[in-house]
Amino acid sequence: MKILLVCSAGMSTSLLVTKMQKESQENGGNDEIFACSVDELEEFIDHYEVILIGPQIRYKAKVIGEMAAKKNKGFAIIDTVSYGMVDGKKVLAQAYGLKNS
Amino acid sequence: MENEQVAFTIILHAGEARSHALEALKAAREHKFAEAEASLVLAKKQLIAAHQIQTDLLQAEARGEKKEVNLLLIHAQDHLMTAILAKDLIEEMVLMFKK
Repeated sequence: MKILLVCSAGMSTSLLVTKMQKESQENGGNDEIFACSVDELEEFIDHYEVILIGPQIRYKAKVIGEMAAKKNKGFAIIDTVSYGMVDGKKVLAQAYGLKNS
Repeated sequence: MENEQVAFTIILHAGEARSHALEALKAAREHKFAEAEASLVLAKKQLIAAHQIQTDLLQAEARGEKKEVNLLLIHAQDHLMTAILAKDLIEEMVLMFKK
């Protein structure tokens, strides 16, 4: 699955990406996970199936959610607890939940 | 809490604060001042939570408990400072809209 994480600078989520990739590899998954900044989103969005945004840019959720819906992408704000704990496993599960729904 | 969780929690609270502050600004622009005030109260609560973590870190350092300062923690500080400034400026801007 192709998952794009978005936050203000793409920095904090890039650490989360590393954790999610580790989790994915351990489960033998073949996921492509990437983090970018809000400003880079338009450049990258087409390549991904699911868009997850960091809870710290919740104020951008409406705009990004509409963009994702228009392009038929799954979209959610990363669960705040999973984010705070830097829990790659839970965030990966959240992404998969979006794809299935 | 692990080091990186400390940084992520600061980013989380700072980001929530910034989101609430921007909501307050939007409400003020639409002349919904009660809503703007309520959002600012929420922003302040989030900043206090973020600030508390920072204070804990400072106090731990004063006690001689050395924490590793990494780029992520600096980034968290950046988020917090930005959020504090957003809240301060938006408080003023809400007053300007009221005039």
